Amino acid sequence: MKFEPIPIRKGRAKPPAYKIMTAREAIAAFVHDGCYLGMSVSAAPAALIWELVRQRDRIKNLSLSITSQIGMSSALIGSGLVSKIEMAYNWGGIEGEDKVFRRAVEKGIPRPLEVEDYSNYGCAMRWEAASMGLDFMPVKSQLGSDIIKNNPRIKVIDDPYTGKPVSLVPAAAPDVGIMHCARADEIGNVQCYGLYGNTDLLARASKKVIVSVEEIVTQAEIRRMPNLTVIPYYYVDAIVQEPFGAHWRESHFFYHHDLAFGLDAYRQFATKEGFDAWANKYIHGTKDWNEYCKLVGYERLNRLRLSEGKYQKFGEVR
Amino acid sequence: MAEYAKDYSLPELMAASVAREINDGELCFIGVGMPLMAATIAKFTHAPNFNMMVEYGAVGPSPRRLPMCVDCAVNNERAYYTGTQREVMGAQQAGFVDAACISGAQIDKYGNLNSTCIGEYNKLKVRLAGSGGANDLSSSAHRTIIMMRQDGRNFVNKLDYITSPGHLDGPGAREKAGLLGGGPHVAVTTMGVYRFDNETREMYLEKMHPGVKLEDIKRSIQWDIAVSPNLIETEPPTEEQVMVMRTLDPLKVYLGNGREVLAGDFEAFMKMFEDSYWPMTELMKKKGLL
Repeated sequence: MKFEPIPIRKGRAKPPAYKIMTAREAIAAFVHDGCYLGMSVSAAPAALIWELVRQRDRIKNLSLSITSQIGMSSALIGSGLVSKIEMAYNWGGIEGEDKVFRRAVEKGIPRPLEVEDYSNYGCAMRWEAASMGLDFMPVKSQLGSDIIKNNPRIKVIDDPYTGKPVSLVPAAAPDVGIMHCARADEIGNVQCYGLYGNTDLLARASKKVIVSVEEIVTQAEIRRMPNLTVIPYYYVDAIVQEPFGAHWRESHFFYHHDLAFGLDAYRQFATKEGFDAWANKYIHGTKDWNEYCKLVGYERLNRLRLSEGKYQKFGEVR
Repeated sequence: MAEYAKDYSLPELMAASVAREINDGELCFIGVGMPLMAATIAKFTHAPNFNMMVEYGAVGPSPRRLPMCVDCAVNNERAYYTGTQREVMGAQQAGFVDAACISGAQIDKYGNLNSTCIGEYNKLKVRLAGSGGANDLSSSAHRTIIMMRQDGRNFVNKLDYITSPGHLDGPGAREKAGLLGGGPHVAVTTMGVYRFDNETREMYLEKMHPGVKLEDIKRSIQWDIAVSPNLIETEPPTEEQVMVMRTLDPLKVYLGNGREVLAGDFEAFMKMFEDSYWPMTELMKKKGLL
């Protein structure tokens, strides 16, 4: 015996320290070239995605981990930043066919895009596995379909307990996860209103986590309703305050989807030239999210907010 | 007995047909778009205690505006639960969900659906959206209600890709694959209503939409479709069903070409919400749903 104590191993918890940054600072600090990037869909981190596209001289190649994306991934794919996407769904919702995605997969424009298909629950369980420190999760979806035939990373085994077939999906632990939520304090406790899909799982699965929020609030306000905390501080690396940070899509109980804008964007995305012109105007033509909002028009954005507030308010039944 | 509508469109007929597949008291997975129309009119008419589940984490919403996607803010309206996708997907895998509405670009006689690609997966002609939750719903819901276009090319002998498993290759195949749910129960298309036979698991024609001819249906299907000996005409929507649908979707975004009208027109969009929310509020009050 040498009478040396067992060394202390440090946990992965991010410190309860000040984490507020600008989008530019956060993307510059955490997103590197070759990054495996996770993105939430509800709410969609539009402000962070736009900033990522603005830094394309530095970030040239990404692989994406999503469950479903409804429109927002187009900005990255159309800009030629994505070589691979692991997904269940990538399309417009009500906006319809995603021509940016189709051009990339079918014709390699602006660059070839490899697709790894799963089901939605399959994708979510990949993040869930990583969120619990596991290497895979069993899922009773995908069985009998061509998803498992064409994706060698999904294994079908006989369940060792029942002997019945079950599909296993590999854990997905993105290098960086980006997401948009309702509010957070300065040390990174994040709260959501309404539905939030798999945002909680993405934050737990990702090595670095950037969360954009509508509002920054005090720790006392977070403590007032702790069951709204979807992501505790120890998962979070950066908090970015971006009001309207999910436009043209919704931010629950703040504003609804700007359908007129989304449909118009999709109309322009029909051609590569149309997409480039749109991105030049709305992304490269603006230096940050505030400028984007000015270009869209704060009057319009405020009307989206007032309109949502008229129809529903968090904490009230109408 | 409710009065049948004299003036109705094909999408309205389809939505009413899907609505009739939903029973009172059930918990069903509903996608936005046309299934949402069906769900809303079911709740207004014969199924006031039916609740919908929406894929990105909402249970029991009662929207008075058009939801625009599965994660739409509108899906929070009057919901019993809002939260995560794994809550609703997990509940479904565990057997809590009675039925789910799904769709696809291609279908075969066992109700297998393709929403991933046209052409071979590795040499594809057209890339489509992908599974989304359709595979999960078709895997684990106790029954699925399929709603899709029938365009003369998409009822095929062999799918280019099985995204959502139907009855696979016949009786016993789902169990053998390890699937928990019951598979396709009914398919409502632009031409008729098809059901799946308990013995053979094959699709058969049960109802034809008014004005559609049997020979046209047969010509639009690659295999020799079985026809029910009790083939009947599809029941039209009622006056009330049509009125509710047109109130919820005043610009015909789902029921017609409203998307084209709305693209770039912010004022029309803001007006659309106003034009549905307040009249829907009145209708729901009258029905005791609010």
